Amino acid sequence: MTSPPILQVDELSVKYATSRGPLTALDRVSFAIPQGRALGLVGESGSGKSTVLLALLGLLGPEATVAARSARFRDADLFGHGAAAVRGDRIGVVFQDAAAALNPALTVGLQVAEPLLVHRRLSRSAAMRRAIELLGEVGVRRPGEVARCYPHQLSGGMKQRALIAMALSCEPDLLLLDEPTTALDVTIEAQILDLLEALRSRRGLSMLFVSHNLGIVERICDELAVLYAGRVVEQGPTEAIFARPQHPYTKGLLAAVPRVQRDRMTRLAPIPGGLPDLTQPQEGCGFRSRCPFSVAACVLPQTLRPGAGTTLVRCHRSAELTEEAWPAATEPAAARRPDTGVRIIEGERLTKTFRLGGFLRRLRFDGGFPLLRPARELRAVDGVSLTIRPGEILGVVGESGSGKSTLARLILRLLDADGGTLRYKSMPVPRKPDREFRRRAQIVFQNPESSLNPRKRVGQILARPLSLFGGSGGEDPERHIERLLTLVRLSASYSDRFPHQLSGGEKQRVSIARAMASEPEILVCDEPVSALDVSVQAAILNLFADLRDRLGVAYLFISHDISVIAHLADRVLVMYGGAAVEEGKLDEVLHPPYHPYTEALLSAVPLVGVRERASQRIRLPVEAMEPGKGCRFAPRCPRRIGALCDEVPPPVREPTPDHRIACHIPIAELESMEPVLVRRGS
Amino acid sequence: MIAYTLQRCLYVVVVVWIMSALIFGITQLLPGNVAYAILGQYATNQQIAELEQLLGLNDPWYIQYWRWFSGMLHGDFGRSVVMQRPVGPLIFEAFGRSAILAGITITLVAVIGTWLGVHSATHRGKLSDRVLTLAQYFFIAVPEFFWAILAIILFAVWLGWLPATGYTPIGQSGVGRWLAHLILPVTTLVCGLIAHVSRLTRSSMLETLRSAYILTARAKGLPRRLILRRHALPNALLPTITVLAVDVGILIGGVVVVETVFAYPGLGRLLIYAIEHRDIPLLQAGMMLVTTVYAIANLGADLLYAVVNPRIRYGRSAG
Amino acid sequence: MVAVFILLAMTGPWIAPFPFDQFDMRARFDPPGGLHWFGTDEFGRDVFSRVLAGAPYSLIMGFGATAISLAVGVPLGLAAAYYRGLAGELVMRAVDVMISIPPILLGLLILAVTEPSLWKTIVAVGIVYIPIMTRIARSVALGLLVEDFIEAARARGETAGYILFREILPNAWPPIIVETSLRVTFAILLGSALSFLGLGAQPPLSEWGLMIAGSRPFIEQAPWIGLAPGLALCVLLIAINLLGEGLREFLDPRLVEGGRA
Repeated sequence: MTSPPILQVDELSVKYATSRGPLTALDRVSFAIPQGRALGLVGESGSGKSTVLLALLGLLGPEATVAARSARFRDADLFGHGAAAVRGDRIGVVFQDAAAALNPALTVGLQVAEPLLVHRRLSRSAAMRRAIELLGEVGVRRPGEVARCYPHQLSGGMKQRALIAMALSCEPDLLLLDEPTTALDVTIEAQILDLLEALRSRRGLSMLFVSHNLGIVERICDELAVLYAGRVVEQGPTEAIFARPQHPYTKGLLAAVPRVQRDRMTRLAPIPGGLPDLTQPQEGCGFRSRCPFSVAACVLPQTLRPGAGTTLVRCHRSAELTEEAWPAATEPAAARRPDTGVRIIEGERLTKTFRLGGFLRRLRFDGGFPLLRPARELRAVDGVSLTIRPGEILGVVGESGSGKSTLARLILRLLDADGGTLRYKSMPVPRKPDREFRRRAQIVFQNPESSLNPRKRVGQILARPLSLFGGSGGEDPERHIERLLTLVRLSASYSDRFPHQLSGGEKQRVSIARAMASEPEILVCDEPVSALDVSVQAAILNLFADLRDRLGVAYLFISHDISVIAHLADRVLVMYGGAAVEEGKLDEVLHPPYHPYTEALLSAVPLVGVRERASQRIRLPVEAMEPGKGCRFAPRCPRRIGALCDEVPPPVREPTPDHRIACHIPIAELESMEPVLVRRGS
Repeated sequence: MIAYTLQRCLYVVVVVWIMSALIFGITQLLPGNVAYAILGQYATNQQIAELEQLLGLNDPWYIQYWRWFSGMLHGDFGRSVVMQRPVGPLIFEAFGRSAILAGITITLVAVIGTWLGVHSATHRGKLSDRVLTLAQYFFIAVPEFFWAILAIILFAVWLGWLPATGYTPIGQSGVGRWLAHLILPVTTLVCGLIAHVSRLTRSSMLETLRSAYILTARAKGLPRRLILRRHALPNALLPTITVLAVDVGILIGGVVVVETVFAYPGLGRLLIYAIEHRDIPLLQAGMMLVTTVYAIANLGADLLYAVVNPRIRYGRSAG
Repeated sequence: MVAVFILLAMTGPWIAPFPFDQFDMRARFDPPGGLHWFGTDEFGRDVFSRVLAGAPYSLIMGFGATAISLAVGVPLGLAAAYYRGLAGELVMRAVDVMISIPPILLGLLILAVTEPSLWKTIVAVGIVYIPIMTRIARSVALGLLVEDFIEAARARGETAGYILFREILPNAWPPIIVETSLRVTFAILLGSALSFLGLGAQPPLSEWGLMIAGSRPFIEQAPWIGLAPGLALCVLLIAINLLGEGLREFLDPRLVEGGRA
């Protein structure tokens, strides 16, 4: 006897009134969540997944028209009169950005206790007591103290836990989550996901989990609904969908995700094109303009029909396409230029320290005497050495605060280093480098929105480095710009456009074109694909690979996403707390011997299709004390030996030539670690 | 928090000190000879020279400055050249009367302005909001002295309800009369400032209502009033505190004008008088008082802001 | 609307039916109507003509003073934002101190020093508003300096001058322009207030603030002497305000919208 689904949505539609006409954000979306199960809503930006959440809660503004055949929570109609009572009481919500979702003017404890005060009418003290209990349950240490704190005093992970505690306060039956871990570091994210899983089994919670991250969704959700352009295109058990995607879009998504175990030489298969204009009614299949399998019949309206197994698919060709994979990228990897031995960049023991706290903030009164505390120092980069050879891609991976962005700027002399040397082609690079260096070393940034001057046209943006560095002697600048645009797969017509007329992926391409204009030998890329959707990301990563193959450009490629690094890099540098903890060839870093941090990092990353991960998950303790003079990682290291790690800087060991690990633990022990990723034959 | 307070106090001291130097410097540039002004047209050159010597006007400027500054610190503000009286009591009395005007005005502006702004924001788009917004535009554009004239014409001349000028202390003819003298000037001042405050409060409130934490509050199913009161207001009112401090500065300007129009015997009118008659000691002392008061008001606003805003109050302490 | 005013201001002195300082003692205190549209003042001068003649003063006051504060304040602010070191800090401290002084006092102080006149008022008002312009320019520039395209420029080895004027300034204009329109209204207000107090324009100029001041003794008899210029002032200020609002709306979405490719 199956219990009724806890949430049942039937043909939910949302339309926005815009200046260009009504925009259909959601088009008759239907799904049901059985009790105690977790449903994932997957899609990229513009798919409408967040809108579903807001619409169900009645939180959309007056510009949105919400209509549904029915939307029931248990027995209550969500759009009826009793709906408001259910919010916060039987349904809990966790939003994405904890820093923004918490009211900065109220204590955390009060915010967690509020639903209890309102819905359960507890007394103030009883509610606060319960709030402290809840905070403890979600893994906050010293919950009593934290409850009295204000949001800005807590770290990102703690804030997110507080949000979860807040959502759980009235013991809801259903939890709605909108990208709850996107803003967090990977290791913290893993802890939060652990917490969610534990809560689910302990309390029998049902969940609606919205995310664009396929790895997370695979881990947490029992069922999936894939959204594209406001419609559900595929829906069914998670395992089935991942093993055998049936809708072309799902196939495309899975093909575009960079994976750690894939043979590095292959190109990712991006999904060409962009979202359809949602102000126009979609005739037939919304995906057909981008679908490699589309035929004439795709113009007809598509319905959600049962496909293989219990999955529902919105594609009339799903049966015949069952065995077909998303077409692989056509260009095989060309042979790379060999290593010529002259190193492009050599950095030795680069260090950068920031001083915090002005004079008056350091003033302290101790028994009536004014004392000056020493200024707090932040060691952003601590004695990092690296080498990059021509045509080589060095991937730098680390979490926030690891110093990787600072390192990038040190390499380019955009920041002055406090210590260490930097050499370019064996010549030392001065503090104010000359034009030649500037020409040969360029940078691409993470955020496409701020990378381009909004007041300049694309053509002007590209013309500037050309005129500055002299172009390629005598060639007509316009032709040169055209060439650059072609290099990044944009048509010449883009030259007249302004940045705000371009999509995120297109803006990044222009950024890359601008960087390539001076014919650099090394390109520093600071998280260049982190802000892009998966399908667009794939195309840009392919572009990077192409540039490397055809022009022999070397890269310093920074990312917090190890899958991306694994896809592109030849060698990897792992950073933690400003220090380099491991460096070596990609293969060697991904497999034991590991630095303990690398091990934890690999263990935490939600990877797609890695169900066969080693069962033991390494989890790092929540918050740490200031590291001492020894290893930066020691306070959180699960393999910490003892006081030695805290006090003495770890030696650099080389288990194999050119593979370095900075750790006190002897090599033999490191080599005997369990591999986190099971080696899969390609 | 302590460090912050100290920092601000130090700052005020520095500002006041620099202002004193500025004021002193500028007044030294005033044309006209002080001794001449005191003794009158028929004084002989010798008498002038003697008086100059007596007043120490021949000493180098830094000595004169120091004399003046240290004098002030001891409470000695010099003697008014024109009125032949010690300046100190003169300005403090006038200041008291101006302070009544200013104090009442700021209180009214703060309370009514904020309330109007919040009301406008919460009833956005409705009739009351539109009317208020329109009124705001109008009020902001009108200069103070015009209000004053208008008010006088309306209330004093045509309707004859209220006295147009002057002032009577409470002791003399009772509260009613005293109040009557105050109403017009205060109303004029309030009109000048209120639009500014209500406009800013409105936009601050609107922006706050758009933020993510309000969405969270709504998702928690909290009743609308509670959200407004506990979640929105504390955040929305922060910029209002800042703007009130700025308004004190504008108020000072307004007070000068209003006192002139209504012949209200306050500090502003005294200052104008001092400028017209080149009464340097009076001018210097008056300016110093005004700037000091303004600086302290700003300090008060800064500290109030810091107290209300937990980010400044606590900094990053807990783990 | 502002255009209408500017037009009037330019042609005012010519189309005025009477010269603004022509006395006509017989017609003293004529109420509005008939020959004299706004009536006459205590000297028999036509109020309407005087109001018209006063328009250019207010306009010049507003725009002139604002232009001064822009010309000095903006480069100063931009430079202070770029050169964050000691020099930048000093400039900002000086600015903070100047802002600490209520504007009217500063204006009074400056004007008290010399013989007042219209031009000196304009300069004084301009000087009074320099610190505010500096601060605004600086905060806008600071916001822009952290954008990535600025860092890209630095990675190209661009000079400070180029970055400030070719990358930042074109992006900084919108907020500065919006603020400018606000400043113009304040400048006009301050200027007329100073004239009202006797320290700005001097008689027999028909500057509006001055006219209002001059009308005070005759309020009961002939209120139109003060009302006319007052109303004109109001209308002008409202017009400029509206212009400013319109500018702000115009500039904002232009950057944001534009449609996707």
